[in-house]
Amino acid sequence: MAQFLEQIINGLVLGGIYALIAVGYTMVYGIIQLINFAHGEIFMFGAYFAFLCVTTFGLSFWVALPLSMGMCALMGMLIDFVAYRPLRNAPRLSALITAIGMSLMLQNLARLIWGARWRKFPVEATPTVLTGNAIPLPGGAQVSFLDVFIILLAVVLMIGLNRLIHLTKIGKAMRACAQNRAAASLMGIDTNRVITVTFAIGSALGAVAGVMVGLREVTEPAMGYYKGVAAFAAAVLGGIGNITGAMLGGVVLGVAEALGAGYISSEYRLAIAYIIMILVIIFRPSGLLGKSTATRA
Amino acid sequence: MLKKLFTPKTIILLAAVCLFPLVAYGSDRIVDFLYQRGILLEIPSARYLLRVVVMACLYMLLALGLNIVPGFTGLLDLGYVGFYLVGGYTAGLLMARLGWSYWIALPLAAIHGALWGLLRGAPTLRLTGDYFAIVTFGFSELLFRIVKNEEWLIGGPNGFVNDIPAPNLFGYELYAYWQQYYHILILLGITIIVVYRLQHSRVGRAWAAIREDERAAESMGINLREYKSLAFAVSAAIGAVGGAFFAQFQVNISAGAFEFWESIFILCMVVLGGLGTIKGSILGAGILGVLGELLRPFGGWRYLIFGIILILIMRFRPAGLLAPKEQD
Repeated sequence: MAQFLEQIINGLVLGGIYALIAVGYTMVYGIIQLINFAHGEIFMFGAYFAFLCVTTFGLSFWVALPLSMGMCALMGMLIDFVAYRPLRNAPRLSALITAIGMSLMLQNLARLIWGARWRKFPVEATPTVLTGNAIPLPGGAQVSFLDVFIILLAVVLMIGLNRLIHLTKIGKAMRACAQNRAAASLMGIDTNRVITVTFAIGSALGAVAGVMVGLREVTEPAMGYYKGVAAFAAAVLGGIGNITGAMLGGVVLGVAEALGAGYISSEYRLAIAYIIMILVIIFRPSGLLGKSTATRA
Repeated sequence: MLKKLFTPKTIILLAAVCLFPLVAYGSDRIVDFLYQRGILLEIPSARYLLRVVVMACLYMLLALGLNIVPGFTGLLDLGYVGFYLVGGYTAGLLMARLGWSYWIALPLAAIHGALWGLLRGAPTLRLTGDYFAIVTFGFSELLFRIVKNEEWLIGGPNGFVNDIPAPNLFGYELYAYWQQYYHILILLGITIIVVYRLQHSRVGRAWAAIREDERAAESMGINLREYKSLAFAVSAAIGAVGGAFFAQFQVNISAGAFEFWESIFILCMVVLGGLGTIKGSILGAGILGVLGELLRPFGGWRYLIFGIILILIMRFRPAGLLAPKEQD
């Protein structure tokens, strides 16, 4: 029972992280119908930026986190500007191949700069609030402060994103672009600006996820690939293009992965994400919450 | 076709290709001869040269096979390495564990690969674009994980299969690099002929129609299910042949050779030369295959450069170095 509860909590933490990454995939897909393969790499760079801030520059963690978000937002916008924008009207295959090339390039850039070895976030740089003792739960299970913090942060950011999409002007513009970019443009919406903002928001949230994974696990060049694929599977599961779906998909996938790793085999934790992703695409391509427009994709 | 094939240019090219090992070993002798007289020439050895060229030829074969799906039918395949893996392990296990002859293992590997191609194709027939790409990616990753983790199936950790014997032809063991060179050359030649004949047939035209507009193709009476399945099966079979060759060439194989990035590497070749062209696939694989081997010591730079190539090609020459002519 205690083990089960711990696996569930583990899954929720993982789910929060996946949700943070998955909204980045899904928002970009919703507006420009591109699987931004490089998003996983932005997430990885987010972890490295925060790591550099606290180690090389000796900054506080609470400064490093927003700094890393800002850097990643810039990076996301830059990638869109340099690589994707020139191909906006090219065949979809070209943009997809560019995204793969970008991912390949960034991942190996990180490997060249920081080496392939994983790095642990220094304990002395971690805020004392987060290193606190484990909180005991009924049934003998325990949950660490860090895990509680990650879940809370993910929930707060998701609510914030939801409010942004539904209450602000730019959110309305984003929804309009997702429905029909050409029509939105005719209504006087600067679609290029909306796309830039979308990349910035998605990348910043990805950076948060990166920092959290860096704190909880390790920082390494391959993390963007592993976690990125799983988060993408979460976005597909929830219905690609659907932001609420991405959040739900992230949590479902996180819990499924934690339970699978705990009870089946930890070697197959990624395989679970792949299998869920393939089954969803084949049997319900619109995902859990998507509308039935997926055949167009 | 024959008249077009035997122009002076192609005959010289063919002769150069056929005589390459002779030149390589000859240069080795010259280096040896000069070395004994105290002159040191920094020329790569014949073994190294032949190895690089054999790998480049293998990649040409794989690029030709991959090209069929994204190039001819317009569906992005991100999991081609899966078939390469199936072929490699089919041949490797049959030869190393059961002691079967290569000449039986090779066709069996091709058939096994084609079966997986059909198996993967069946549920994806209705999918297009990104969804197809994602399923192919997930499929090859699953195969990779199974081979890496299931020791009872492979018989070694991390998918290790050791001591795969060399093919035996009338009592001769074909292990020397020059023998491997002619071996891959023959396989490559057969592949080129098969792919060329398919492209310039009713089937090839049907594929092109599917690529240009699936719905229009269907309404003109093209059976999407049949033609797509055929493309998947042929493409997969070629990949598996490549895998079988690779298994006996490497002698020892492990799961590490079949990672996802290998798929992207092959895709990179096809895209560089020009999606949908035979010449383009060969040229792209030739350039990147040789470059890949030369850059191998530089590790990370290799893939960094491949990434940049993909981005630049899509940006400035989306139809590849050899842009395809309009089909008549």
